[in-house]
Amino acid sequence: MSKVFVASAGLVQVGEHWSKSILDLMAEASLLAMNALPDAKPDRVIVGNMFSGVGASQEHLGALLASQLNLIGVPAYKVEAACGSGGAAVHNAFLSIKAEESDVVLVCGVEKMKDMEVGRVTAALTMADSAEYTQFPGGTFISLNALTHALYLKKYGISREEMAGFPVLGHRNAALSKHAMFKKAITAEDVLRSPLISDPIRLMDSSPVCDGAAALLLLSEKKAKELHAEAVEILASEVAANLFSVYERPDPLDYLATRTAATRALERTGLKLDQMDFMETHDAFSITAALTLESLGVCKPGKAPHDVSTGRFDLTGELPLNTFGGLKGRGHPVGATGVYQVAEAYLQLSEKAEKNQVKGAKIGLTHNMGGLDTTTFIHILRRAA
Amino acid sequence: MGILGYGAYVPLYRLPTTEVARVWRGEGAGPNKEKAVAHDDEDTFTMACEMARRAVRMAGVDKLGAVLVGTESKPYVVKPTSTILAQALGQHFSLAADLEFACKAGTEAMQFNIALVASGMIPAGLAVGVDTAQGRPGDELEYTAGSGGAAYVIGKGRDSLATFEASTSYVSDTGDFWRRPGEKFPSHLGRFTGEPAYFHHVESCMKAHLEETGHKPSDYSWAVFHQPNPRFPVEVGLKLGFKMEQMEPGLLNTVIGNTYAGSSLIGLAATLDVAKPGDRILICSFGSGAGSDAFTLEVTDRILEKRKLGVSVRSMVDRSVKVDYAVYTRFRGKLQD
Amino acid sequence: MVNPISYWRLKDRYFNLVGSKCKKCGAEWFPPVKVCRKCGSQELGDHEMPHTGKLLTHTVLREPADEFKRYAPYILGLVELDNGQRLLAQIVDVDITSVQNGTPVRLTLRKLTEDGKKGTIYYGYKFTPLP
Repeated sequence: MSKVFVASAGLVQVGEHWSKSILDLMAEASLLAMNALPDAKPDRVIVGNMFSGVGASQEHLGALLASQLNLIGVPAYKVEAACGSGGAAVHNAFLSIKAEESDVVLVCGVEKMKDMEVGRVTAALTMADSAEYTQFPGGTFISLNALTHALYLKKYGISREEMAGFPVLGHRNAALSKHAMFKKAITAEDVLRSPLISDPIRLMDSSPVCDGAAALLLLSEKKAKELHAEAVEILASEVAANLFSVYERPDPLDYLATRTAATRALERTGLKLDQMDFMETHDAFSITAALTLESLGVCKPGKAPHDVSTGRFDLTGELPLNTFGGLKGRGHPVGATGVYQVAEAYLQLSEKAEKNQVKGAKIGLTHNMGGLDTTTFIHILRRAA
Repeated sequence: MGILGYGAYVPLYRLPTTEVARVWRGEGAGPNKEKAVAHDDEDTFTMACEMARRAVRMAGVDKLGAVLVGTESKPYVVKPTSTILAQALGQHFSLAADLEFACKAGTEAMQFNIALVASGMIPAGLAVGVDTAQGRPGDELEYTAGSGGAAYVIGKGRDSLATFEASTSYVSDTGDFWRRPGEKFPSHLGRFTGEPAYFHHVESCMKAHLEETGHKPSDYSWAVFHQPNPRFPVEVGLKLGFKMEQMEPGLLNTVIGNTYAGSSLIGLAATLDVAKPGDRILICSFGSGAGSDAFTLEVTDRILEKRKLGVSVRSMVDRSVKVDYAVYTRFRGKLQD
Repeated sequence: MVNPISYWRLKDRYFNLVGSKCKKCGAEWFPPVKVCRKCGSQELGDHEMPHTGKLLTHTVLREPADEFKRYAPYILGLVELDNGQRLLAQIVDVDITSVQNGTPVRLTLRKLTEDGKKGTIYYGYKFTPLP
């Protein structure tokens, strides 16, 4: 079994890309990654994406990308796990290299959301949950999260105001980042004044609808040695699936998939959570940010909002979180996010994070969820000694 | 043979007639105080389902041999409401049909059920009279056209809470109120809907019915007439020799409007809610086009137990949320493109 | 979203909360399952869930999918049925400002959406606090 290394990353700025198609986005990110290491010719192409079929009438993205990059005869396919598609793509690439079936894998996560009007994007995102028992009764993905948000506030007696710390942190970090969507810091008042989407979730509690693409070149041990590209290694890539919909779970606030995948990843690597120098977590909504931290054991139950307010998770804090803004600040082009996260971890660990650099970062963890903790992908990356 | 169970449904929302008058006239009110309005996610089927489930629960029957829905506001012009209802009730081996006869389609459904049960073809059947009546905006019918109705399980046996003594029907070709295909709202002939339509058919039917049964108005504890407005049923009742006290419980137009095919059936339900064992009840409907059905019922002592399984009409009338004309137009789909 | 045929397949689920009951251990499941989550048996049959329950929590949804836009804002509730099974359903007959968690609720059938003026009307479960 081979080790797996991240050798380069290409990130398109997350935002509104009216003049770029889904192909334009994924090709741009991929070429950025590939051109950083021209001697590494991909022998596999994996695209992570959630709903290109619905948004662009285009499936089969792996083959489309490979064809346009002139990678003929190479294994190429799309993987999908809702908003965890990016994590799934990285995971799939990881497995192929570990199994010594590939030496150079191009992983690209892409999503084009802005071509669709709001009602359609809402419906598309809710494909992450049950068509028959969530979508059809009139539910949306945000509303499921709103239910858990309401249950959480009630269970721990937390005020709505305390949850605003998460988006504030996200924007603060995003303002420093070149590839983030949002460049302005926001205040808790901004969050609390923003319109309600699904009570208690407000517009600014939610990651934005946006376009984006990120790509990575993953290398085998052999290839990384050959190309002197052993700086950043993926130590673990673990996945776990939870009961599909939140209403099927005995405890709707328990992120079982997050916990299970994280436990496996730590066991595999022999590492402890407090050895992480930073974490990129799935803060699609303020509530997912809070519950993720508590399910990982980073915060005590009900204490995540308080911990944010102490500065514990700031870039200069004890455990920097979402160092480039996370899903809220950097953006959440859903199928691409998991790849953005690993790319950002790569930038941190190879000291290319510029204004967002966590000093001395050696080990980092990424956490990407498909659905509401329905499929969770955990990656642990380490800088080479 | 009689009624094994009954159930009514009145939606939550009310439109005061002062609102209709405010928009179209600038002031004033209609002949009724307010009318019941279905929410925009309700329709004739959803309301029929509420009524029917209540009636079936009260009746305690497992099998219905007929599901007959009388309405003039079918959700589909072609596709029976009754099969959707039969599906919801789990009654696949039943004769399901939609009946239309303006405001008397509900009592028609009752007539057919009586015949099916009496002939032995079915052990029990369901009759529903229900409407989400529409008035043309600005037309005087808009004051009264309301939503609601009632359902009755008719069957044989000792379990009846009221037995049928007799029934009479009378019809003629009198086009007082109608709707052509493709038209959204009905048309009518104004004052002609009174004397030659409503009064003529109710009185003709009643005369024959009283002759057939040999009863006098004073033989009845209660009388229920179709209620297109608050005045007509009182006028015809008094003219026929009935007293106000006999009609009181069944008079609902003032508070819920005219629920068309549901009107006389919901008046009957309100009356059954207060009736005592041994009471004799008269119900006479009227449907434009035109015709009337009259029935004489006698309440049994089963009513006291059975009534406890129901939801009283009074409780539904009393729980209400007022809407204004704007919200009403949204609920009733008048703003849809 | 839904089409007339997938709706037709689901009507017992939507009209009468028909879920699964394990023939081996008796556990009841809604939404239905293919394998019993309690005992692992594949021997499951259709079974009607209780039509009553209570409202655990709710949200007022203001930005629904296109099909539901005309009804916004509406209340989505997490309802726990009397047998402990939970589901997501709209809550009706109550104002968005006065809906209370913990309220007992019962099944009522309402229109969910329709395929425009010419198409199928889709009915399904919602819950009401009214008797």
